[in-house]
Amino acid sequence: MMQHPKWTPHTTTSLEWPLILLSGVLTAIGIGLIHSATGPIGYAGRILVLKQLTWLGLSLVVMTAVLLVDYKDLANWAPWVYLAALLALVAVWGFGKMTAGSRRWVELGLFTVQPSEFAKLAVVIVVARYFQYRSTLREPRPADLLPPILLTAVPALMVRFQPDLGTAGVIALTGLSMIVFAGVGRRELLWLGGAVIALLPVLFLLGNRLLLEYQLDRLKTFLNPDHDRLGAGYHIIQSQIAIGSGGLLGKGYGQGTQNTLMFLPVKHTDFIFSILAEEWGFLGCVVVLGLFAVLVMRGLAIAARARDDFGVLLTFGCVALLFWHAVINVGMVMGLVPVVGVPLSFVSYGGSSLLVSFMAVGLMANVSMRRSHYE
Amino acid sequence: MKMLRRDHAIDHFRSRITVAAVLMLLSFGLLAARLWQLQMIRGESYAQMAKENRIRILRLPSARGRILDCKGRVLADNRAGFTFSIVPGEIASSRELVGAYAGLLGLTPEKMRHAIERSRSVPKFISFPLKKHLSFEEVARILTNGEEMRGVAVEVRPYRGYSFGESLCHVIGTLGEVTPEELSQLSHVGYRSGDLVAKTGIEKQYENFLRGTDGWAQIEIDAKGKQLPPGSGFPLGSLPRKEPITGCDVCLTVDVALQQFVEKAFGNRAGSVVVMDPDTGKILAVVSKPGFDLDLFSPSISQRDWKTLYKDPLHPLENRGVRGLYAPASTFKIVTAATALAENLVNINEKVECKGAFEAAGQTFRCWNPYGHGQVALHRAIVESCDVYFYKLGLKVGVDRMAKYAALFGLGNPTGISLPEELPGLVPTTPWKMRTYGEPFKDGETLAVAIGQGYMVSTPLQLAVMTSAMVNGGKLLRPAIVDTIKSSDGKTVFAHSPVVRGTIPLSDKQMAFLRGAMEGSVSEKSGTGRRCAVPGLRIGGKTGTAQVIKLREPGIAEEKIPYHERTHAIFVAYVDGKDRKLAVAVVVEHGGGGGAVASPIAREIITQFYGKPQAEASAR
Repeated sequence: MMQHPKWTPHTTTSLEWPLILLSGVLTAIGIGLIHSATGPIGYAGRILVLKQLTWLGLSLVVMTAVLLVDYKDLANWAPWVYLAALLALVAVWGFGKMTAGSRRWVELGLFTVQPSEFAKLAVVIVVARYFQYRSTLREPRPADLLPPILLTAVPALMVRFQPDLGTAGVIALTGLSMIVFAGVGRRELLWLGGAVIALLPVLFLLGNRLLLEYQLDRLKTFLNPDHDRLGAGYHIIQSQIAIGSGGLLGKGYGQGTQNTLMFLPVKHTDFIFSILAEEWGFLGCVVVLGLFAVLVMRGLAIAARARDDFGVLLTFGCVALLFWHAVINVGMVMGLVPVVGVPLSFVSYGGSSLLVSFMAVGLMANVSMRRSHYE
Repeated sequence: MKMLRRDHAIDHFRSRITVAAVLMLLSFGLLAARLWQLQMIRGESYAQMAKENRIRILRLPSARGRILDCKGRVLADNRAGFTFSIVPGEIASSRELVGAYAGLLGLTPEKMRHAIERSRSVPKFISFPLKKHLSFEEVARILTNGEEMRGVAVEVRPYRGYSFGESLCHVIGTLGEVTPEELSQLSHVGYRSGDLVAKTGIEKQYENFLRGTDGWAQIEIDAKGKQLPPGSGFPLGSLPRKEPITGCDVCLTVDVALQQFVEKAFGNRAGSVVVMDPDTGKILAVVSKPGFDLDLFSPSISQRDWKTLYKDPLHPLENRGVRGLYAPASTFKIVTAATALAENLVNINEKVECKGAFEAAGQTFRCWNPYGHGQVALHRAIVESCDVYFYKLGLKVGVDRMAKYAALFGLGNPTGISLPEELPGLVPTTPWKMRTYGEPFKDGETLAVAIGQGYMVSTPLQLAVMTSAMVNGGKLLRPAIVDTIKSSDGKTVFAHSPVVRGTIPLSDKQMAFLRGAMEGSVSEKSGTGRRCAVPGLRIGGKTGTAQVIKLREPGIAEEKIPYHERTHAIFVAYVDGKDRKLAVAVVVEHGGGGGAVASPIAREIITQFYGKPQAEASAR
């Protein structure tokens, strides 16, 4: 029944092509949509498409580099990766570029990067490392959950005060998913659920103090779209008109009226899904959602086949990251989730997001191709 | 045992992975269900909203800032013009449109169909100008007879209006519709097809200040494309709107009254006059003749007018003040003398004999005075502009030393005035000669340089800057044409302050000597600039007569020489007034002699500037 795994350091199974191809297809769809979304602004739009292509090239190179390193070595570097991410977040405070009232980007010569994107991966790696470490100790105790909660909360809060509520939310949800997945027993889960329900009123009061005015506005608008028709609610209504008017087959490439009339100010980034829905209709959306579902399932299959705790948790963390991005983004443009500004992985315009998504794919493929080490 | 534990752990994960997979698939299912609800169940009504209750982003173009003179008189501002536009995406039938409007617009159906065809190149729901500059009658006819058609609109667009016709036309500059090439570079900063963009002059130099910031408004329109009154359509409440910001006003240093006087004094000749304040570098008047009527360019210039201006042999479109290249001729003798003084190569008392001509390098070089000046020292050589004296001095000094001091006086380099088209002129040097012609300077060419002829060319503005340095203590200033820039909310964004680019390395004594010679040229009986003398004012000047062709037998009557072979008349002068100083440079193309033609013009300007009564009063 139990076979002792055998350490064979030099064998790897074949590359995880399906995962890489899926991400490639999603990125290609994304670039097509960016081209359509930025068509109305002319020349400047073509530059955005070229920039995204450049980032794709860079992402493929970095992903290959990620594949070359054994993920088990990554476990040893985890604390340093995490520290580097925190330092980068501190750097944003110091040297960050101010856009639209928040400080998220750091300029690096030709490109600007968004350290908060990299913080997501750092949290995945460090939390996976923590649970790997804990599994070698004794029977779990509830107090063991405190360190990973802190490890998640620190970067999440730093990002939240940039202020970037969306990315902070993704970091928190990804960390929380991993903690629940790895560390919480059935009894503890009940305790946790009870505590959250009990704390809700407190959170609501704190929320009024912690959230900035526009973030509060967005949440209120979400709860009641009539609350502010010309501000945040306007985007949701316009986005819903765009999605709804797409119908079954859509209006065709570059033909969306909501698109060409430039209703959505961030349509090539956060609202790209509404362009997809308007121009390619229900079918196009189902195809993209399906691709994401297959991607996520494929990731979970890799987690199931992984041969050590770190591999399982690392893969699950990456899956959780991509999952939350997709759900929050698509939910947001359809009015199911408040407008918080989260890009759709692979599809939205944005270099750091694309790079980090491909790094996540690289990590999963890494775990997949090195599972034979124990066989 | 450890491995057993690990396997156990992974099994423990397996069931959790299954749970996670189910939850995640459920989430995607939920999203798909919401999509089904939005697109398939409510799709029809959303499609209707998208089609009919459309919200249009209306661009609110900003008004362009004005251009004013130093006393706040308006040189260029905006006037309203009416444009007939169509929205290609909303036209039901272009045939109906042609039928209904071709007559009202005064276009042939053929022409109108072509225009509609062209409109298909712009995004479908953005308005496209079909006919611009409608008259009031046309507007009235369209508004009364042209209702009930979707996709057409009469828009008000501003165009540039000018108060002083030809005055300062080159400095103010022209606007024109943005060209496709320009658009490809400017679209990302907000320019759209049909916009006006500056082409020349101050308009171009300060485009970013003058232009302002466009605003926008979301308007709701009904199925016919008519704007709905706020609140009556799709329940969105009041729609967002951003007001445009008017561009900055640019105030010039020029005084229009003086400018107009100078233009009148210059008369119907071709050439240029620059009047500047030697202490601040402010340009008080700058004339370039012939000019053109700015109104020809606004709202847009006709093909025919453009051709006429463009092909005119006198080049009325060129701003001669900063682009006219003339040999400085004898005005350059100031620089030659300054070089010799500063380098200690001349004794001011040593006399040289002028017999009316000078033999060098196997050629004869003539003095302007065929009878010769006799024994002359430096002072009289400048006062009477003796060429032979300066031929000899030039040989002694050498071309490269003269070039060095010419550069110190600002020749051969752009002055840095904030006009986009300035030319640097040319000061020849030995390395330049080698680079360009592959041979060193010949003696004969050095002689030509010593009297400002040959390869050397400069702009009237450079001559004015050079002259200013003689009276402001040897400071080489950057001339200024813009005094202040004020934003539409009244804040001063820019205010002129003098910029010193360099200092002339002459001792006070040497400077005083040179000034004495220049003042002698105006005040002494035999001075070449005596026609510029104004009693009571301390004026220093230097004449110049620039040859256009190499040599001409002396003694031919001026009228018998063909126009384009006549010499340019040049005169530079400064006034060392008690309260205010002044520098003037006058160039009359093919005008004849500098003393005879150019210096009287300078005199008129100076008299006007200081006021006749004052000049007479101080004479008493």
